[in-house]
Amino acid sequence: MKSNDYVPELARIIDIKEEVEGSRSIKTFRTNFVNPNGFSHRCGQCAMLSVFGKGEAMISISSTPLIKDYLQFSILKTGRVTTALHEMNPGDIIGIRGPYGNGFPIDDWKGKNLIFIGGGIGLAPIWSVLQTALGKKEEFGNLTLYYGSRTSADLVFKEELEKLKSEMTVHLSIDVEEPDWKGYVGFVPANVTEKSPSPENAISITCGPPIMIKFVIKALQDVGFDDRQIYTTVENKMKCGIGKCGRCNIGHHYVCKDGPVYSWAELKDLPQEY
Amino acid sequence: MKIQKILLGDKMEKILQKKTLPDWVNKLKNYQIIAPVQNENHWDFQILSDPSRIKLDYKNTILSPKKFIFPQREVFFRFRSDEQSSYDLQENLPEEKPAVIFGVRPCDARALTLMDKVFGGDMQDPYYWKRRNATILIGLGCNHPPSENCFCTSVNGSPFSREGLDIMLTEMGDTYFVESISKKGEQLIRQAEALFKNPKEADKSEKKQLKSRAEKEISRKIPNIKNIPSKLETMFDSDFWNEESLSCIRCGICTYLCPTCHCFDINDEIKSNFPIEGERVRTWDNCQFPDFTMHSSGHNPRPDRAARLRQRILHKFQYFVKLYQTYQCTGCGRCVSQCPVGIDIIEILNKVDAR
Ligand SMILES: Cc1cc2nc3c(=O)[nH]c(=O)nc-3n(C[C@H](O)[C@H](O)[C@H](O)COP(=O)(O)OP(=O)(O)OC[C@H]3O[C@@H](n4cnc5c(N)ncnc54)[C@H](O)[C@@H]3O)c2cc1C
Ligand code: SF4
Ligand code: SF4
Ligand code: FES
Repeated sequence: MKSNDYVPELARIIDIKEEVEGSRSIKTFRTNFVNPNGFSHRCGQCAMLSVFGKGEAMISISSTPLIKDYLQFSILKTGRVTTALHEMNPGDIIGIRGPYGNGFPIDDWKGKNLIFIGGGIGLAPIWSVLQTALGKKEEFGNLTLYYGSRTSADLVFKEELEKLKSEMTVHLSIDVEEPDWKGYVGFVPANVTEKSPSPENAISITCGPPIMIKFVIKALQDVGFDDRQIYTTVENKMKCGIGKCGRCNIGHHYVCKDGPVYSWAELKDLPQEY
Repeated sequence: MKIQKILLGDKMEKILQKKTLPDWVNKLKNYQIIAPVQNENHWDFQILSDPSRIKLDYKNTILSPKKFIFPQREVFFRFRSDEQSSYDLQENLPEEKPAVIFGVRPCDARALTLMDKVFGGDMQDPYYWKRRNATILIGLGCNHPPSENCFCTSVNGSPFSREGLDIMLTEMGDTYFVESISKKGEQLIRQAEALFKNPKEADKSEKKQLKSRAEKEISRKIPNIKNIPSKLETMFDSDFWNEESLSCIRCGICTYLCPTCHCFDINDEIKSNFPIEGERVRTWDNCQFPDFTMHSSGHNPRPDRAARLRQRILHKFQYFVKLYQTYQCTGCGRCVSQCPVGIDIIEILNKVDAR
């Protein structure tokens, strides 16, 4: 363990890809540590990214631990640090500390059908576990993805999603009708309800805006999913990432340490403060 | 047993003439001396520039001495961009001289033992521990409760609690009854051994009496505190929090002044844009401020005063108890005495008990 967790490692941005343009712009960054003493992560863990002079932001690591060449982050431009990141170029240096959080218990899911359900930027935290499952396909049952956003332009990982269709079942959706759209039109939870996935030997992993998560959980319960089969992630404001700054708690849980991944069986007993 | 004896040292009991306190302090050349200093209308712990002017005839300070272990602002590291458009990071661990803090009230010393739990554990906070390990705490027992809102005896404390202290002083007329509690404390006494006399039996019994009298003088109490954590568990959604928080003006005084509150913020402060040069800074933060938990989307899991008062009370009397089996409050009474609108944690807890 590092003796001083607050000082980040330097990392170089090696690639930037624009996923979504416009006012809710999303970019995907790949980084390499400048020194070899970086870290390896579990899927679902996060890292604190630094833009020196602007501050820090907690971001999910969206690349699978199976890839050792880089760490990947998909970032929505929303405030000071994320805007500064969006203005950066390949070759620029940022700071990274972590990895933080518990991650998904993917080893417990061997042999099971995995159903991934994402909304908007919420595909990022799911992406690392989805890619890990794909990389070890023989260890799991059927893999299915439900993913939606407001418009088709707001979908992240568009190219990757196209390729994904040959490897697993993909159900895309957008909130409102568009001329050339072939997928589902409507909210993600409604798409789940319509397709009605079987809870038999299944685990579902949901991530997206709080309101979407709430309705997805309801949709899953309606088709017979047990609370222990439903996993989600929680985003509370974070500063330290190590359970000390006292900011991210839900009851006696510090999301930065004890989360961000929770089964609904665990989360439903905690106070509604997320 | 043996190991414990080495750490704790031999318990020493001594008598020191009050007028020779400065002589003791003057022997402690290798330390910064911190003690309460009188300002216009309040006392404040400060580093003494002239240690021989030390005076301990105070009641209590507005800010506890926690600020010397966990300062209100501190620099984690400095950053500077270099020619290769990379960065030079300079870690900034505290380098201050070891310190002796004189006159620490028992509740404030206990508060540091609670802070230790937060900054310790499997992720140690190096900034905190560097200062903590280099600080010796000399307590001053409370012959009379320094504040009308003292309630240490309701939260497992006492006006003569030794928890967290290295030495305890008890004021007795022209003298202090001096007891070493830790090895560090013992060594501090040994540095000026000639100044200390051995106590007589009469001194010892006088000290005992002082203690029981002081405990009786504490008037504010939470008689059924043991029931509070489990009661609170059932009250998360209660309208109680709304009623109790209506007058809060979210100034944050209650939490800034609390010796056990540890929440902080981390920000960058820049000196120059080209080259980029600045500091990553930790500052105290406050759960009574709306943006403490607000996301950039505007979503706020703790959107109102009720939710924020609830967090302050539940953190101290439910969550902390669950994590560490102790209340996160030592009964110093500061949040009660200093709240501009009279929100009173003792009253709130007694109301919780009565529900
Ligand atoms: C566990 C976790 C994983 C996350 N993963 C991603 C991700 O993969 N991609 C992504 O784009 N965003 C992610 N976020 C959200 C991201 O951390 C915030 O959008 C970001 O901190 C905003 O910083 P800013 O300086 O640009 O915004 P500002 O509004 O300028 O930031 C002010 C402060 O608000 C806090 N904050 C603001 N919004 C949020 C939020 N939604 N969640 C938590 N803290 C917030 C931050 O602590 C920040 O210091 C994640 C958040 C958490 C807690
Ligand atoms: S001191 Fe009183 S008014 Fe100020 S934030 Fe605390 S409870 Fe509210
Ligand atoms: S909660 Fe109030 S009484 Fe308790 S330690 Fe903090 S300031 Fe003192
Ligand atoms: S982010 Fe600081 S306690 Fe969780």
